[in-house]
Amino acid sequence: MTEPASAIAIATNMERKPTDWSASSKMRQRLASRNRTEKMFQFTGLAAVVLAVFFLAFLLWSMLADGVHGLSWQFLTGTDSSDPETVGIWGALKGSLLTMAVTLGLSFPIGVLTALYLEEFAPRNMWTDIVEVSINNLAAVPSIIFGLLGLAVFLNFMHLPRSAPVVGGLTLALMTMPVIVIAGRNAIKSVPPSIRDAARGIGASPVQVVFHHVLPLALPGIMTGTIIGMARALGETAPLLMIGMRAFIPTPPSSFTEPATVLPVQIFLWSDEISQGFVEKTSAAIIVLLAVLMTMNSIAIILRNRFEQKW
Amino acid sequence: MVALDMTTDTVPGDAAVAQHKMTTRNVNVYYGAKQAIKDVSIDIDMDNVTAFIGPSGCGKSTFLRTLNRMNDTVASARVTGEITLDGEDIYASSMDVVQLRARVGMVFQKPNPFPKSIYDNIAYGPRIHGLATSKADLDVIVESSLRRAGLWDEVKDRLRDSGTALSGGQQQRLCIGRAIAVEPEVILMDEPCSALDPIATAKIEELIHALRGRYAIVIVTHNMQQAARVSQRTAFFHLGDLVEYGVTTDIFTNPREERTKDYITGRYG
Repeated sequence: MTEPASAIAIATNMERKPTDWSASSKMRQRLASRNRTEKMFQFTGLAAVVLAVFFLAFLLWSMLADGVHGLSWQFLTGTDSSDPETVGIWGALKGSLLTMAVTLGLSFPIGVLTALYLEEFAPRNMWTDIVEVSINNLAAVPSIIFGLLGLAVFLNFMHLPRSAPVVGGLTLALMTMPVIVIAGRNAIKSVPPSIRDAARGIGASPVQVVFHHVLPLALPGIMTGTIIGMARALGETAPLLMIGMRAFIPTPPSSFTEPATVLPVQIFLWSDEISQGFVEKTSAAIIVLLAVLMTMNSIAIILRNRFEQKW
Repeated sequence: MVALDMTTDTVPGDAAVAQHKMTTRNVNVYYGAKQAIKDVSIDIDMDNVTAFIGPSGCGKSTFLRTLNRMNDTVASARVTGEITLDGEDIYASSMDVVQLRARVGMVFQKPNPFPKSIYDNIAYGPRIHGLATSKADLDVIVESSLRRAGLWDEVKDRLRDSGTALSGGQQQRLCIGRAIAVEPEVILMDEPCSALDPIATAKIEELIHALRGRYAIVIVTHNMQQAARVSQRTAFFHLGDLVEYGVTTDIFTNPREERTKDYITGRYG
């Protein structure tokens, strides 16, 4: 026989004393020190949570205190103006919605198809490894770089209209797409192989396996990832500054190609104003942005809890 | 007695079988450089249940999965030799693998119903293969498949409930019903009872008896008593070799090979 077998034989021959569990024993002392560690860890953890919640609460409270009086029907339906009394957020909100529509319309189908292809169809080789690494890297690229890319490609090369939601949407789609691919791949991976086997075993073709079984089961996970990616895009400022979505827009955009601005850029612009009246309006705009973001995240959580499959 | 050549005249007194449902000749299966199946030739007949037995890792499941090309999805797997279904080479380029799997159905080790309703589990196969022309047609297929799977009386009032809400044994019978709903010619069962309790196992075994003759059934099992109970032909695999193949009662009462005898009597396994 080989080495391990003889090692086991020796081990079983060794004599061991029974463990001493009496009150004064080493084992009891060890237990006491372990319990102390437990308590300390729990206390530190609680302190960390309190700290995090405190800053969130402080942020929300200060925004509400400053901005809640700025919220009015006129504010929610108006557009940008040089006078803080008549200023409104609707123009920026509509700009955000149009931009997000373009972003979602592009990044969702492209991202999901990419994820499906990479997980279910692509052969495992050097090329797919390179694609995988590139997508992961793309998700980590600072957003300002995407702004520069948008400026170079969509404005200077393709001559699309400056400051328009279509360009903002395209730029943010580039940024959101890798997030959707990564979330999508994880969701697709979590569909158990036995479901694919079952479908294949009764003669489903590869495309039927994917579209009848894998995609529907992965969809809640994909949608959660998509909403989180969209929420990130919605809060993005830097890349949109690069493509000119920082202009003063006194009328809400009525199409994808008209000049527009978006919520976070509007907040950035107002926070730069000298006039005192804009302080309140900036906070009010932040409240609107936070409300939209929290709604999106809540939808993501609801989707996840509602449709998550337990295997 | 019989010579060691297991291909021609596979089993004594079996000459009446005009054509075998499936035949395999000199089949080798490799996973990368490792050979999992060595030169296996076997015939599978319509009116028999064929059991594959052998210790873990002997290649019996691998071999089963070559019979409907489920190994195609494993990138490193390579199959050589000839496997035919009704005389047609199933690894030929003219063979459509999707259609092959409709003709050679499969039941897996762990019950794997789709997370859909009981009705949709059964109806899925007929739907994708266009076997039903109307809703009423489909209802008939679902009912008859569930009846043949011995599940109808237990689920007829809750066809809209999820298939995953059934018990393990019911799930496995649902999977058998799902397989027979597309009217395959051969059903491959890969240790169908290994995740089930003895009562559920007994029900599956009864079911196999009832289905015998209508479908050629091949069952992989760890459980030798099960092989003895349900099958008429038994193949014993060891380390990728087909050691012995013959009439089940002969294998269990009068094995020709020393290795078979050792396994049957529990010397290893």
